Amino acid sequence: MEAKKNYSQLAEENEHLRLQLDEANETIEAIRTGQVDALVVKGANGHELYTLKSADQSYRVFIEKMIEGAVTLNRQKVIIYSNSRFAEMVNMPLSKVIGLSFETFIATNDNDFFSALFDKGFAEDCKEEIILEGNHRTTPCQLSLTTLDLDEGIALSIILTDLTTQKETQRQLKLKNEELEKINLELELSNIDLQQFAYVASHDLQEPLRKIQLFSTYLKDKHLHDLPLESQQHLERIISSSYRMKSLIVDILNYSRLSADNIIFEKTELKNIIDNLLEDFEEPILEKKAKIIVGELPVVEINPGQIRQVFQNLISNALKFSKAEKVPVIAITSKRVEDFAFNSKENKEGNFYIISVKDNGIGFNNKYDKQIFTLFERLHSKDKFDGTGIGLAIAKKVIEQHNGIIMATSIEGEGSEFIIILPATQVQ
Amino acid sequence: MQIKKILLADDDIDDRTIIKNFFDKKSDVWLFPFAENGTEIIDILNKIEDTDNLPDLIILDQNMPRMNGKQTLLQLKHTERYAHIPVIIYTSYKDHKLVTDCFALGAAMIESKPSSYYDYEDMLNNFLAIIR
Repeated sequence: MEAKKNYSQLAEENEHLRLQLDEANETIEAIRTGQVDALVVKGANGHELYTLKSADQSYRVFIEKMIEGAVTLNRQKVIIYSNSRFAEMVNMPLSKVIGLSFETFIATNDNDFFSALFDKGFAEDCKEEIILEGNHRTTPCQLSLTTLDLDEGIALSIILTDLTTQKETQRQLKLKNEELEKINLELELSNIDLQQFAYVASHDLQEPLRKIQLFSTYLKDKHLHDLPLESQQHLERIISSSYRMKSLIVDILNYSRLSADNIIFEKTELKNIIDNLLEDFEEPILEKKAKIIVGELPVVEINPGQIRQVFQNLISNALKFSKAEKVPVIAITSKRVEDFAFNSKENKEGNFYIISVKDNGIGFNNKYDKQIFTLFERLHSKDKFDGTGIGLAIAKKVIEQHNGIIMATSIEGEGSEFIIILPATQVQ
Repeated sequence: MQIKKILLADDDIDDRTIIKNFFDKKSDVWLFPFAENGTEIIDILNKIEDTDNLPDLIILDQNMPRMNGKQTLLQLKHTERYAHIPVIIYTSYKDHKLVTDCFALGAAMIESKPSSYYDYEDMLNNFLAIIR
């Protein structure tokens, strides 16, 4: 341990440290204000040179390396600075670019436009698109103008973004859109054609059918017993076929009339529709001793007539395809959900409703779960079960026009479930 | 016994035959010669000078060429001379709009063409009931 220092020694040490501190503070101040570019420091290994990475230097590197072209123009539109990228864009060596008027790279008929833009750039930051005319190279660009406060005065900095790829993508997008529009129009026309055709065909088919029914039933009423037995049976077959044809035509007409254009939605109590339907089905329900369970049903924005048809078809099917030896139980329930998905979580504030019609009837093989919604698709012969096979096709079309989905699932021999997702409200 | 005069327009020969057979059996009905479309109906009516000789009932098929049932109905109700005569429209396809439109124009009845003889007889008896 040192001997205790006396007062004058301590005062000298203090002065020495104060001078060091002042020097250090001055150096820091000089660095901060950019007065020095480098420091030579006497260190343990001799003199060492430290250069300062000023903020300015970092930006210079940044501008040099960036993908955009960058130029600085003076009041006379002369390029006083350019990065390499700009030189590339105009296909000229960097050394040649500097000192040229920026107008060199503007088409003659764009000159006025650019002059106006140039003047505007001094007043406020702006962006515009222009064609850059380089050396045998034309580039569509977006110019971004802003002023720079340089020692020599106020200059204009322009950042140029090459829009070539963007323009090409835009062009292709436009082409694809036009194609899409064309196809859509063709599809719409084709649809209208088909609808009209179905309507007219069904309409006009009804007349000769009526004649067949009229005269064959007359023949049967007046002369059945004048005919040999085989002919009597033939006559019966003619008559029953004509009735079948009538059902088919009526169904086609109904299906073809389901047009999306004039669909009117209104807030409806689904329960009222179901109650009303169950009244209509009173007879077959009693006959089959069926038990119908109706859960809480929502208010939804729907076309009442069309949705009625959907549930009419579903309930009719549930009753029709019941098992003879079992008491038919049909459950109509609903729940409010978050998302437009069959496995969506229940949510009291959700935007969708899942409605289910479940029965304990004969069911069907799940491999037909999509097929059954096809027009005129039947899984059983006419002798076993009546029907044209249009009911589910109509249901599907209606639900889709309501921006919903319908699906079916079943265990053969145990029962089926028809599940519908509907949005609570419609955009009209 | 007052003879009822009935004027009918239908372009379908089968329907005309069935109707003719029905009314021929009624002793109190006299059938005008058939018209096949609305224009012919107007022609026939215009040729009748004496208003006493105008028909008591006009039956119109809806689907006729040149001037269909509804169009003829319109013209008849807008002509003072004929407006009072009851007009019945019958059609292969009775859709909601046709029914509303025809009643609005003043038709006495709108019926679907039947597909059995018995229904035909019922329908024609109903027509007769309007003027008997």
